[in-house]
Amino acid sequence: MTNGTTEKPKLVAITGAGACAQAMRQINPDVVAAFPITPSTQVVEDFSTFVANGEVDTEFVTVESEHSAMSACIGASAAGGRVMTATSSAGMAFMWELLYVAASMRQPVLMTLVNRALSGPVNIHCDHSDSMGARDAGWIQLYSENNQEAYDNLVMAARIAEHPEVRLPLMVCQDGFITSHSIQTMQLEDDQAVRTFVGPHTPYHSILDTDHPVSWGALDLQDYYIEHKRGQEEAMRNALRVIQEVADDFAKTFGRQYGLFEAYRLDGADIVLVVLSSAAGEIKEVIDEMRAKGEKVGLLKIRSFRPFPYAAIATALAHAKIVTVLDRSASFGAHGPLFTETTTAVYNYSTSRPLIMGQTFGLGGRELTLPHIEHIIRESRRCVDKGEVGNRQGLWINVRGDKS
Amino acid sequence: MSTLKNWQELPFGGVILEAGSAAKYETGSWRTWKPITHREHCTHCLKCWEYCPEDAILLEDGLDAAGEPRKFVKEVNYFHCKGCGLCVRECPVNKEGKVFALESVRDEV
Repeated sequence: MTNGTTEKPKLVAITGAGACAQAMRQINPDVVAAFPITPSTQVVEDFSTFVANGEVDTEFVTVESEHSAMSACIGASAAGGRVMTATSSAGMAFMWELLYVAASMRQPVLMTLVNRALSGPVNIHCDHSDSMGARDAGWIQLYSENNQEAYDNLVMAARIAEHPEVRLPLMVCQDGFITSHSIQTMQLEDDQAVRTFVGPHTPYHSILDTDHPVSWGALDLQDYYIEHKRGQEEAMRNALRVIQEVADDFAKTFGRQYGLFEAYRLDGADIVLVVLSSAAGEIKEVIDEMRAKGEKVGLLKIRSFRPFPYAAIATALAHAKIVTVLDRSASFGAHGPLFTETTTAVYNYSTSRPLIMGQTFGLGGRELTLPHIEHIIRESRRCVDKGEVGNRQGLWINVRGDKS
Repeated sequence: MSTLKNWQELPFGGVILEAGSAAKYETGSWRTWKPITHREHCTHCLKCWEYCPEDAILLEDGLDAAGEPRKFVKEVNYFHCKGCGLCVRECPVNKEGKVFALESVRDEV
């Protein structure tokens, strides 16, 4: 499905990338500046078709690089527009400098990030190295398990990012190929309903408001820089509340309820897996099978990684005997980012002390199959029985040469 | 320097809402050398005013020998002068090498 307006909600078969392009069409942003890169290409490709067909009145800027794409987005946002883009992997790495500028200048640029490994060796498949590297850039990061979630997150994105107490850029992450190129059935909402939900964009000190001239991007030294950073941090803390408020309103409008994370079969769970994005689908499948056989296992799927909901996660994990965190990116010489954040949450925001095991999987698109997940859950149970994680800490899953 | 604000009082992202507000910023505290004027040697050619990156050479109105209105060098604004020394270097009187119309001296901070 590459074009056509939607007059009422309908079930469609569509790829994750195509779903985000549809959300962009419905939002009809003022400016899109993007440079295509696998596997996010279809987002930009579909959207350029909408522009060519006159289905949106977006100013579509075909830039010569991702560095220019994000620069154009920041400029257009400072000029008062609602601005969107899409990228992956090396494309976002090339935006690096500007990712920080967008966040620091508090420009609510909206991005579809189709997660892909970073080189080298060159790899075009999924892992979370790109967004995890950018986790300190100051962008809100929402992760999506499937096409529906990627679409829904993008529909919610503008209201979160543009909220007057937030004003931060936001990236909606989905797994490269696994989600972006897989056709799934999902509900595409009515165009007008989406536009009404998203609402109009309110510029903040637009540089095009010539009656009230302003300067953006001035030098900021020892006397004020840290105060501006403190304000940025406050915006992230506010975002924690706003993400939930927007999700609740989304549920009232469209019927699908989201939280800062999804608690899947956590009732009475001794073993809780923690993961981001598409891997949650397979994990739920295995959990259902193992629950049927009596194993008390559940899943905590993080939706909002930035801001990270420490306190709520600590509460959700308070009764677990072991928390097994699966990172789809490596922080070489340290544990994975999801592991360190989860450990910080559990050990600093609650008094419970479950075992916490961190493992790495899926780099460069390496498969995580149902038997792998079952193995991880069985090994987690053994750790509970022994009362320690021991030498299983930091293992890489499904790597030839390692016994996991 | 104007009173520094708390983070809660600042507009987002370091946006500057007031035109010309850089004039309130004290760059004078950066100075280690300071230019002083010797008005008795100054020809009021305004080269120092032209070269000054901080607009720190202040002028005043007056009349030239023919009675026509023109600008004269008045003094250095030490709130803005950061002591770069461009005025001293570019002064044509100084370049003649006999006397100083502008002179760099160690600043006493």
